[in-house]
Amino acid sequence: MKQTQDPHPPALAPLDSPEVVQSHKQMRRKAKRGRLLTYIVAVVIAVWILVPVFFVFSMAFTTVETVRGYPKNFLPFIPFSTDTMRFFLESDGVLRGLWNSFVVAAITLILSTLLSIPAGYGIARYIFRGRDLFRLSVLAVRAFPIVVLSIPLAVLFLRAGVFDSLWSLALMHTALALPTSILVVSSVFASVPYELEEAGMVFGATPFQSFRHIVVPLVLPGIAASGLFAFVLSWNEVFAASVLTLDNRTLPALVFTSLSNSPDAYKFAGGFFLMIPSIVFMFFIRRYLFNMWGQVTK
Amino acid sequence: MFFLYPMYEGFVLTVYDDDALLPIRESPTLSGATVAKLPLGTELEINDRRSQEMVNAGSDDLITDQWFQVEGTGVDGSLLRGWVTEARIRVREEDASGQPLAGTVRPRLGEGADPLTKIHAEPNETSSVVGQLEQRATVTITQSAELEVWFLVQPADDMNSGAAAGWAPSSYLRVSEDASRGWVSGATSGEFTTKFIQRMVDDRFFGPALRTTLLLLVLIIPVQLVLALAMALVIHARIRLNSGFLYVFALPIGMSDLAAGILFFSIFTGNGLLNSALDGLGIIDGPFAFLTAETTGWILVAIVAAEVWRATSIMMVIIVAGLQAIPDETLEAAELFGANYFQRVRHIILPLLKPSIQVALILRTILALQVFAVVVALSGGDVVTVLANESFRQYADLRNTNVASAYALFILLLSVASAVFYLRSVRSEAEVRPT
Repeated sequence: MKQTQDPHPPALAPLDSPEVVQSHKQMRRKAKRGRLLTYIVAVVIAVWILVPVFFVFSMAFTTVETVRGYPKNFLPFIPFSTDTMRFFLESDGVLRGLWNSFVVAAITLILSTLLSIPAGYGIARYIFRGRDLFRLSVLAVRAFPIVVLSIPLAVLFLRAGVFDSLWSLALMHTALALPTSILVVSSVFASVPYELEEAGMVFGATPFQSFRHIVVPLVLPGIAASGLFAFVLSWNEVFAASVLTLDNRTLPALVFTSLSNSPDAYKFAGGFFLMIPSIVFMFFIRRYLFNMWGQVTK
Repeated sequence: MFFLYPMYEGFVLTVYDDDALLPIRESPTLSGATVAKLPLGTELEINDRRSQEMVNAGSDDLITDQWFQVEGTGVDGSLLRGWVTEARIRVREEDASGQPLAGTVRPRLGEGADPLTKIHAEPNETSSVVGQLEQRATVTITQSAELEVWFLVQPADDMNSGAAAGWAPSSYLRVSEDASRGWVSGATSGEFTTKFIQRMVDDRFFGPALRTTLLLLVLIIPVQLVLALAMALVIHARIRLNSGFLYVFALPIGMSDLAAGILFFSIFTGNGLLNSALDGLGIIDGPFAFLTAETTGWILVAIVAAEVWRATSIMMVIIVAGLQAIPDETLEAAELFGANYFQRVRHIILPLLKPSIQVALILRTILALQVFAVVVALSGGDVVTVLANESFRQYADLRNTNVASAYALFILLLSVASAVFYLRSVRSEAEVRPT
């Protein structure tokens, strides 16, 4: 019984013998079947992920009546219109919320990039006392509950008189984004061999020059990815934004706090705006996703 | 530092009540030495009153005295300038806005009453006396000041009997009409307390929130683990269009839980996608209301669907990173020995993935404990609630920062507990049996 199942015939059989050809065919067929199965699974999962997104997009670009209507359908089959979008954008505070979200996300991007470059370079290049502890604490913070941070910070900001300010919210978001940014940036720096920097210095460049002209061009895409990640994180963040702001609501905080008394059209158009940055940026970030998380398990 | 300090602050908010005790003082000034600290609601006997500088002008219970700065001729004939309480002066002249300009000293009635009125250097009774005025003497009023009344109090109830008497400003006391008795109505000094934790546990949403949170963990995480493994294996197989599939699979990582909540609201709502599809296929006749208070089961299904949709990708990425660390030779060797695909997954890949799976599980559980926008988007936050939502509700709606903080700390506690649980239970073989 065992013998017949063995895909590897005795070594003595000639390569063109029927048994060998037969077994090769079998293996190829098996591999083909496996490939097909993989494709099916991949497509099913992709459809499962895309259908809700596309449905909300359809709802965001149709007439308000269609959003209210039943049964519903997808975009090519329902009238295309900017009505829903216009209704959302003309609602109270939405444009300001979009602008606030953009400002906070931009500050977060800049601050986290500025802070993560030296920290990431330090972790990647130098062995200093407490380096492992530093890496570990960066990781621990990554998993830190936003809920636990937000409420004491809100009280603190309130006491310090910087409550409801876009800057304090951006500071909070920077703190949340920094651990991941530092990990990505350090793994990007680590992927550039130090020998390249040394070579630059051999040819007479100062350490800063060789950093500027050799390392920076190589790491720029990775750093941009980590910056975009910080941007998306800030754009998405609901809890801290709702707790730390009152009049200066960001978009997620605005949509969240008006969930219970807003019409569906408002929610769907809001959902569109919440998703669009991540859909655009994920395209650029995706190569660095594994840098972000690959380090975690090491 | 940025993380430790808020944590400490959160802990303090949970167990420390800023406004629990009222210090009573040796003398009726804020600089007076503290004689005792009385808890809110202590019954008091009031033995004396005094006017002093204002402590807390905004308080409901504030009792004030008016004092005038007067000029007039004193008993000894010299010109006097000083402060006297409004009760001793009858105002005779006012300007257009009602500001007093001049008056006379009121006579004291009754036997043995002191006919003279003392004038103080500053607007309170403890300041030095600069001179005395005859009764009915005319004075010009140059200034007036509002002063807070302080009371000399002594605890009257049994629990605090024997405590020393001391002075307390009126803004923290509520006094009876004849000002002979009262009780502590405000406080300035804190104490450690478990009452916020108690209030959290007694909250009628605490039980349901905790139960739902744990139920969601149990429902979501196994599904996600299996799905994330499948997705990771698909990505790792490096089929054609791999990069495209990775993009699609990774999309939900960048989505907020609010966006996921809205997505699945659009599917499960009364006239949403699911009803449209079921109706179109003829499975149901007319829309079925999934998201109502009577169908909490369906709300849970919707939350599970949304969470699985949103947060499986991040587990996938961690597991793919782990897969990339498994050398191809190991798998080739297994194949050479005749292991089929599922045997390879079961006996080679899964054991080698243990650290990655551990990290994925810890991260996922901690993040799942914080989810709340999905729940609010799908249930309104009342019918089905979770701990993070309660923390938000206590903070934003009920303005109860301390209880909100207690909820937040409870979530932190659960996070740490779950991390420890995974670290101990998903231990790799080498740790169990060192060789």
